[in-house]
Parts: sequence; structure tokens; C-alpha cells
Amino acid sequence: MSTRTPGRVDKAGLVIALFLLILAGLIWQDLTSLQLSSVYGLGPKAMPVVVSVGLVVLAVGNAVTALKGGLPARERLDWKPILFILGGLAALIACIKFEIGFIPATAILFAATSAAFGRRAFLVDLLIGFVAGIVIFLLFSKLLTLTLPMGPLERLI
Amino acid sequence: MSQYRKGFWRGALAAAAVAGFATTAMAQSELKIMAPAAPGGGWDQTARSMQQALTTAGLAKSVQVTNVPGAGGSIGIAQFVNGAKGDGSQLMVMGYVMVGALLTNKSPVTLDQTTPIARLTGEYEAIVVPADSPIKNAKDLAAAVKADPAKVTWAGGSAGGVDHIAVALFAKAVGADPTKINYIPFSGGGESLAAILGGKVTAGISGYGEFESQIKAGKLRLIGLTTPKGTPDMPSLKEQGVNLEIANWRAVVAAPGISADQKKALSETIDKLAKSKEWAEILKQKGWDDAYLSGDAFAKFLAEDTNRTKEVLTSVGLVK
Amino acid sequence: MDAFFALAHGVTVAIQPMNLLFALVGVLLGTAVGVLPGIGPALTVALLLPITFKLDPGGSIIMFAGIYYGGMYGGSTTAILINTPGESASMATALEGNKMAKAGRGGPALATSAIGSFVAGTIATLGLAFLAPTLVELAVKFGPEDYFALMCVAFVTVSATFGDSPVRGLTSLFIGLALGLVGIDRLTGQARLTFGVPELLDGVEVTTLAVGLFAVGEALYVASRRHIEEEVLEPVRGSLWMTKQDWKRSWMPWLRGTLFGFPIGALPAGGAEIPTFLSYSTEKRLTKYPEEFGHGAIEGVAGPEAANNASAAGTLVPLLALGLPTSATAAMMLAGFQQYGLNPGPLLFAERPELVWGLIASLFIANTMLLVLNLPLVGLWVKLLAIPQPWLYAGILVFATMGTIAAKPSVVELTMLGAFGVLGFLMRRFDYPIAPVVVGLILGPIAEAQLRRALSISLGDPMVLLQSPISATLLAIAAIALILPFALKGMNRFKAQED
Repeated sequence: MSTRTPGRVDKAGLVIALFLLILAGLIWQDLTSLQLSSVYGLGPKAMPVVVSVGLVVLAVGNAVTALKGGLPARERLDWKPILFILGGLAALIACIKFEIGFIPATAILFAATSAAFGRRAFLVDLLIGFVAGIVIFLLFSKLLTLTLPMGPLERLI
Repeated sequence: MSQYRKGFWRGALAAAAVAGFATTAMAQSELKIMAPAAPGGGWDQTARSMQQALTTAGLAKSVQVTNVPGAGGSIGIAQFVNGAKGDGSQLMVMGYVMVGALLTNKSPVTLDQTTPIARLTGEYEAIVVPADSPIKNAKDLAAAVKADPAKVTWAGGSAGGVDHIAVALFAKAVGADPTKINYIPFSGGGESLAAILGGKVTAGISGYGEFESQIKAGKLRLIGLTTPKGTPDMPSLKEQGVNLEIANWRAVVAAPGISADQKKALSETIDKLAKSKEWAEILKQKGWDDAYLSGDAFAKFLAEDTNRTKEVLTSVGLVK
Repeated sequence: MDAFFALAHGVTVAIQPMNLLFALVGVLLGTAVGVLPGIGPALTVALLLPITFKLDPGGSIIMFAGIYYGGMYGGSTTAILINTPGESASMATALEGNKMAKAGRGGPALATSAIGSFVAGTIATLGLAFLAPTLVELAVKFGPEDYFALMCVAFVTVSATFGDSPVRGLTSLFIGLALGLVGIDRLTGQARLTFGVPELLDGVEVTTLAVGLFAVGEALYVASRRHIEEEVLEPVRGSLWMTKQDWKRSWMPWLRGTLFGFPIGALPAGGAEIPTFLSYSTEKRLTKYPEEFGHGAIEGVAGPEAANNASAAGTLVPLLALGLPTSATAAMMLAGFQQYGLNPGPLLFAERPELVWGLIASLFIANTMLLVLNLPLVGLWVKLLAIPQPWLYAGILVFATMGTIAAKPSVVELTMLGAFGVLGFLMRRFDYPIAPVVVGLILGPIAEAQLRRALSISLGDPMVLLQSPISATLLAIAAIALILPFALKGMNRFKAQED
């Protein structure tokens, strides 16, 4: 799988190591704010200490790998589909946040993902997602009596 | 009363005619109950049981239950207080656990912001020991705690919950240092019960129902209940000289900023619910004890219990 | 022999036409809801509880048993077909199962999972019928220190999911452990790593993480590589059914999975995840085809699935024998019992034998029913993969978010789902293994809580870990499992040098 090119520094690998260091720092900072300790035995700080120290060690390990160029080779990335899918998810979250409703949210996510995978029929997909949303909504509210996020449309049903 | 009734029926008719038009009286035809917990838990079951009894008894035309789980109800109450303001058709189920959770989670929203309606059910706490324990009664347990609180290990529910508070109160009542109690929180009822049955801890504390079948089967010994008065089989702690009374209750509250009329209408509906035979039936099926208390008496009770809880949690160090 | 007669009587209760119908309705509902990620069998039982009010106790409890088993089947079906584990226990199934499905071997994967579940369920139910009282005596002897030792065994075996680089595997595991810290500390009630966000107080939901990493991450990864290689899914390549070879490779994992699942499931804090991981790593060590692991090895589906189902029967041991609900579903079933004024526990076997044995018998029947229903459906299920790729992935994402929305309709939860999706994508891109993250999230908090409980009871004395015979044994096993591979490797190298 991985084609190794020894001797070349992998910048992404260093970013990962940095990310792990930041994570370790966050955990360390958080644990210092804990006020209470258990009366007997180990307190709530023990585990964060272990995790934090472990992450520092792993950050070093990952950095060493990166400096040796030990990360697997990667192909060029196509960002467009990723943005489509994440955009669909963001739209879904916005629909829930601003009470636009579950059904339109589902429709947008469906159409956006489908477009990310190369389909060029956004409106048709929107319609499919819409119908799927209605079916799911009815199943949940009628059969399982679970209330999915409501919008103007859902209130009509 | 009769005027209220008239209003109620008119409201019901109006609701049928113009859906979506909100009046005070209409509150009773379409109710929304929030369970600030995931489906399946105690509050959710209370909400769904209310839904069932309200509709079958004809007290409400439709009742919708919504679940807003998270952090012992802290998330639910925040959403309720902000989203239902002035809406006389919304209720929220809550309970004693929420009192403690709001304090320990430093919730910006407090119970004062809601409109208390009524307490519905309650369950007393029971303290048990394994059947082969040398501790026979509350006096033995009190002596052991007083001698060295560290050596008496307690299994119960989550930290800061009703079980934890009861143990702290126990230590206080017998004259031991409540900050020195060796209380071990377990995740679920099953897990703590297993630890007690396996003799891993000195004593266990939980709602009586959790222990009932084990006590009857002779695997656990009941030390005492946190009731004011017990029976010969089931003695209360108070009768054994430990001044400790506490109950894990569940109640309903309404939204902040509702009018006096809206509050009255909701209280009437819940009053009828509490006195209906449908509700009595549910209490029996679920094994819940009726602890109905409404109006100012409930508001006073709520304030008192909140204060006492704050005091205990502060003394244990959970609230600064 | 008494148990045998009682069971026979139970069967006559369970095969009454009405009870058969309840079992059927139960397994159908359970399967239908079990495929939804985030909505497990527990929630289904909770939501159906009010509906079953009017049924007689026997009927409704038989229905619950059906929902329980049905839910587990549903969870593994989506794990295999669309890499979306419906519950944390079917995560191990997704690892190899989805690889099989993508290689056109979805049919055998589903079949070995269905038959394995049946075999495990049947053996475990027999175990429940005959060993429950003995097993439960042992189960309550497990103290916090013993659970901690069990977690140590699990942590050591997790390395089987690490892939080829220990550094990257450990990195994944520690990210999971870090996520496990989020939320209220179980022992002191303080918030850790919540940054003032109240939604984080309850911690990171395992299903949100698993669905984000597996399903969303996969969709992002496949989409980003479309310009390089088009993913071609063939629903069926080779045989739709299990070949003779598949059978030969499946039967031992089924039995071993059952051996892991049933006893650990019977432990009050055992759960279903640990036995599935243990089974996965055992199969990976024992297989004759190690090169297939990570690319769709049938043993990696057969074992964990059997373990999963056996542990489900295992959780009924403490429930029926002690009244201890040790899983969310068991807690709901307990509520179901109480609805009819029945208290499971030491007296239930004596007071209402017809009900207990009726339930045990109906577990058999639910299991058989699921097998009969699911095997013919295998052909239909794998057709799902023939859906055009854009719609398939769009459907997977709708599915993944729907479960989250229904279980926890909050913006924070959905944002986490998206963030875990991005994490899953990045981990795939940089070749970090994904499973250890979920493992860390599940095991970390349990290990921490149990160790701290043990030390609180012993007033801080760590010797308690060695004084308990169970704990000492388990720790020894963990130590051996940790050292043995290195020792073997060293010996091999030594041999190779000699040659």
C-alpha cells in the first residue's frame, strides 16, 4: 500500500504531530481547572494526565515518522465533492437550527451528496430527497411517536 | 370553576375549528409535554404516562411528548425556559435529580424561572446491606459511619444525585463528617445492585423498588427507608433515631411568564389528571407512589428542597 | 431435568398462535428499527411499551424478546451493507463485513452473520436456560478491580485493529481516549473538556462517533477520489450464498464468538462491545488467511456477530435471575415486567415459571424466525448495492443523520457528526486505522471508572488488583497477550538468522 520515500520531510505529518500536541495541551489545561478530587483513591485528574502524556509521546512518534518521510503516498485531492457534502451537512444543521424543518433538510442533504458523486440533476434529486424525507417523517411521528424537528411544512402533516 | 369549565369546552370547540389559534382555555385541548431526558428514562416514562392518561381520560385532545435529553435535564430546561415563554400549552416533567444537576452543572437557567404546577410521584430511598453483613440495623450502620466514614463504602447512583445526597445527609444526621463519606457512584441500577449483592461495598442506596425483590428473596437486608414513618417489616430511619427524610420525586412545571388564567387552567387539568382513575391505574402498573402536591404548597416544597440540596451539595464540595 | 421439563412447557406456551404472532411482530419491528443508526433495540422497546399495555404479560414480553434480537440483526445488516453500524456492538462486524460487501461478497457476509447469530443465540439461550443460576453467582463476584483487569485484556487485544503501524494505531486509540474524557466525570460529577457547552456534559455518543467515522468519513473519502478511481460496486461476485469454504471458515468463529459473548454478556457491567472486539482479534490471530483481514475476511464477520448475539442472551441472565438490568434494553424489559406487577429476580423463577420459560422458549422461536426471515432476504438486501452510486451515498448520509436527529436533535450533536466525518476522512487519507478511536471511546471511560471505584473501596491500595484472584488471572492473561507476539517475533527472527 504505502510507497515510502525516505529522506523527504512530510509536512502533513508534522501538522498531525502539532495537532496531537495541541490536543494534549488542551487536555492538560482543562485538567488544571478541576477543583474537586475524589476523597479516596484516584482523582479525576489521573486519566487526563495519562492521555495527555500519551499524546505528547505519540506526537513525537508521529513527527519522527514524518521527518523520515514515512507516511504513505497520497494522491491529489479533489476538494469539490467534499465541499458539496459538507455544505449539505451544514445546510441540514441550519435547517434544524432555524426551524425550517426535517423534510427540507433531508432533501438538501440528499441532493448535495448526490451532486458530490457527479450527478447533474439537482432538482430531481431534491425531489427524491423530499419524498424520502416525508416518508421518514411519517414513519417516525406516526409509528414511533418520536418528534423530529418541525418546520412549517411538518406542522401541516 | 364553572366558568372555567365553560371556557374549557368553548376552547376545545375553538381548537377544532381554528387550529393554531392559541387561547388560554385551548391549552387543555392541545398540550405539549417536554421530557428533558432520552426516551425510556424515568422522566420520559412519566411524560408518556401523562400523555396516555390525559388522552384516555378525555382531559386533553392531543398531547405531544418531546424529548430533549442531556446533562440531567440542564439542556431541556434551558430550551423550555427560552422557547416556551408565555405559552400556556406547554409543560415540562422534572424531578429531584434536576435540582441537583442544575446546581452541579452550574446551569445558567434555574427552576425559579419556571412556573411550578404540581408534584406527581415520589419514591423513598432505601438503605440496604448484603444479607450476611454484620450490620443489622440503622444503629449499627450509624455506629460504623461514625467510627470511620472511610471504611463504610456506599454504592449508589450518579455523583450529586439523590442517592449521594441521602448518604451525605445520613453522615450528617449521625454526627459524622459528610465530606469524608466513601460514596461510589455506579452508572446504572443494575451495576450498583451487583456490587452490593457481591459484597463489594458495605451498603447500598437507591429507590426502594430497585431492591424490593432482593429484599423479599432474603439476599439483601433492609436497614431503613427515608420515610417519616415505616412499618414493622420496613422500618424508617427516623424511627431508628437517624433524622433523615428524603424522596426522589417527579413533578411538572409550566413555562415562565404565563398568565394567572393560564396557570389556573393547567393546574386544573393536572389536578383532574392526578385524581383520575386512569392515572391511578398507571401508578399501580409502574409501581410509582402517589405524591400529589399542587399550588403554593408545591412551590414552597420546591423552594425548600432546592435550598436543602444546595446546602448538602456545598457541604460535600460538589457545589462551590 | 426439571429445567428441561419447564423448557418443554415453555415451548408449548410460546408456540400458541397468538404468541407466535407477537414474536413475529417483534422481530419485524426490531429489524426495521434496528437498521437505523442511533435508534437501538432499547429505544424501540421504550417507544412500544405504551402500545403493548393492552396485551397480556406473556405476549408483550415475548414481543420484546423479538424486538431485542431483531434489533441486533438490523444493526449488523447496515454495518455490512453500508458501513453504518446501527449500534456500537456491530462495529467489529462493519470492519470486515463492509469490505466483503464491496467486493461482491455481501451475500456470504450477511449469511454468515445471520447463521452465526442463530447458532450463537441458540447456544446462549440454552446456556440461559440451564446455567443462569450458577452463572449469576459468578457474575456478582466480579468487582470493580476485576472489570478493570478485563478492560486491560480488551486493550491489549485491540492492537489487532491497529493495521501495520503501532504508532498510528496508538495515535488513533489515544484520540478515542481523549474523546472519552469529554463530559461529566462519573465519580466526582465535574465537567471535563466540555468548554462550557452543556450538550457535551453527557460525553460523546458512541453511535455518533462510529457513524461519523465510518459512514460520513467513507462517503467523503470515496467522493474525493472519484477523479482517480471510480468505485465499482458489484452486488454479487461469485456465489450469493456461502460456499463450502465459507462454511468451513465460519463454524469455529461462531462457536468461539459464543464463548466470548455469553459469559461476558452475563456480567453486570460486561456489555456487548468487549466480546465482539475480543472475538475479532482472536479470529485475526487464529485465521489461516491473515492476508485477507482488512480486505474482507469472513471470520471477522462470523465471530463478532456470534459474540454480539450471545452477549444479548447473556444480559438476560442477570435480568431474569437477579432482576439486574445490565443493558439499556434489559432495563426496558424490566420496565415491561413491572408494568404487569412482575418483579424479575430470585423469586421470578419460582413464582411465575410459565412466564420465564415462556420467554426463554420464545427467544428460541424469535431466533429461528429471524433466520427464516433473513436468509431469503439476503438476495434482496445485496441489491441495495446496485443502487447508482450518487443515490447510494446520498441515502447513506440521510440515514446517518436521521438516526442522530431522532435520538438527539441538537445542533451540537449534528456538528459533531460532521466533524467526526471529517476526522474519518483525514484518517483514511493518512492511513490511520479508524476502529481504535471508537474502541478508545468505549473502553477508556469504563476502565477509568472501574479502576477508580476499586481504589476508592480499597482506600487507595493498588494491591487490590492482585489480591482478587479473578483480577490477578486476567491481568496475567493481558501481560502474556502483550508479550507473546514480541517473543514469537523475536524467536522467528532468531530462527531466520540461523537459517
